[in-house]
Amino acid sequence: MLNEMINCSPAIWQPMLQQQVFRGLLDGFSYPGRIVACADSETTACLAILIALIDGETTLADPQQCLNSALWAKLETRPCISEKAAFILLDGTQLADLNPCIGTLETPETGATILLRVGALHPDSSGNLRLQLSGPGIETTTSISVDGLHPAWITARQEWVSVFPLGVDLLLCDEHHFVAIPRTTQIKMGDAA
Amino acid sequence: MNSNYELPLEDAGYSFGFLDEYAKKEVRRCILKAIAIPGYQTPYASREMPMGRGFGTGGLQITLSLIGVQDTLKVIDQGSDDSVNAVNLRQFVQLTCPGVDVTEKTEEASLLQSRHRIPEKPLTEAQILILQVPYPDALVVVEASEARRKIMHAEADYSRLLVKLYEDIVHFDEITISHRYPTRINGHYVIDPSPIPRWDVPKLHQSKALVLLGAGREKKIYAVPPYTLAEPLVFDDIAFRVEDFRDATGVRHACRCCGSTVSFLDEFSNDQGMVAYQCSDSAYCEEQQQTGSAA
Repeated sequence: MLNEMINCSPAIWQPMLQQQVFRGLLDGFSYPGRIVACADSETTACLAILIALIDGETTLADPQQCLNSALWAKLETRPCISEKAAFILLDGTQLADLNPCIGTLETPETGATILLRVGALHPDSSGNLRLQLSGPGIETTTSISVDGLHPAWITARQEWVSVFPLGVDLLLCDEHHFVAIPRTTQIKMGDAA
Repeated sequence: MNSNYELPLEDAGYSFGFLDEYAKKEVRRCILKAIAIPGYQTPYASREMPMGRGFGTGGLQITLSLIGVQDTLKVIDQGSDDSVNAVNLRQFVQLTCPGVDVTEKTEEASLLQSRHRIPEKPLTEAQILILQVPYPDALVVVEASEARRKIMHAEADYSRLLVKLYEDIVHFDEITISHRYPTRINGHYVIDPSPIPRWDVPKLHQSKALVLLGAGREKKIYAVPPYTLAEPLVFDDIAFRVEDFRDATGVRHACRCCGSTVSFLDEFSNDQGMVAYQCSDSAYCEEQQQTGSAA
């Protein structure tokens, strides 16, 4: 379980900074596997992403209560069960019993975006869990490694994305960086080299 | 745009980028889903803009949701930086996004909003191309019901579209689509790539830059992510071909300004009533004239 506090700087509530966080997200989703530095270095990456994307028009599930009530109030969104939420915030070190929304054939965009908090993201193979990625946005293949990500997440994710266009989109977030893994990315898992 | 036009000032004023932050967040969420599902037309609540639908409001809403003070924007209309639509949209962004730089040089831009062309100069990973789309759905010519089109897209059922192309070959010995050529993205969804000429369709394939497409009137956003398959719909025995600009003797026309024989040309009549050819991409043409290195 990640016990680290979620940090929040006052600056992240400014639209200009949220725009920069979003551009990082755009970069991450365009080039899966690219480790993107969050534009606000004083706010925990997963929270900065939520602040940049969430308002009352969408839903967030926080089954492990990572966010305190003051943050909930400022996010302007309502809590939602994880089966129905558009965004789900979870701890990646342990496998939660999750059954996320994967959309329908006519409306695949309703598939959830899952933010997994992990220990650390590495552009090389120095982390515990090695992931080789390929698919749209990746020229050939790219590899990253992750500390503090339960491998069962990747197995469960393969199941959720098995019938395109249905699926979930993952964001692996360490303290100040994130990696996007949209549903189109193929993942090969390997142990640390 | 009237050069004396000013935004009506209210007590609250307008936020950076004209759109309110909630509108931008919604567009941003849709863009991320559109990238995650390449070619899927993601519905969004297209806002009223202070210009008519059909003047690039879909592309503009994407641009305004993306843009920040660190950006340099290029706006083109049919390849030209100086035509009415491009000038209007560029002025609007300058008016509502103080601090944003604009440019006419393709390589200087971080964001490129375009109506109906992709620049001649190859784009890079640091750039994002935003295309304005009048009709987002390639299936609309064969199926009137959107509900049924959505099911056809979901099942990647494009048989009726292929029949339409086949009928063209039967009638004219060739697929006669000049622009908006149906293109299959990542082996699943077929998109209308906006009214770009056939010439530009291969540029979508394995593009280094992200391509976002916005249809304001039809309220759809879709994307061609970088390094993604983009295959024009064809038959095994009839290859896709682009405009070749050759005359009756087989000689390729050259641009009358820069002499280029490798660019996409616009055809028009000059003052003497003769047919003349000129680069459609004005920034490319100017650079060729300055460097004198036209191929």
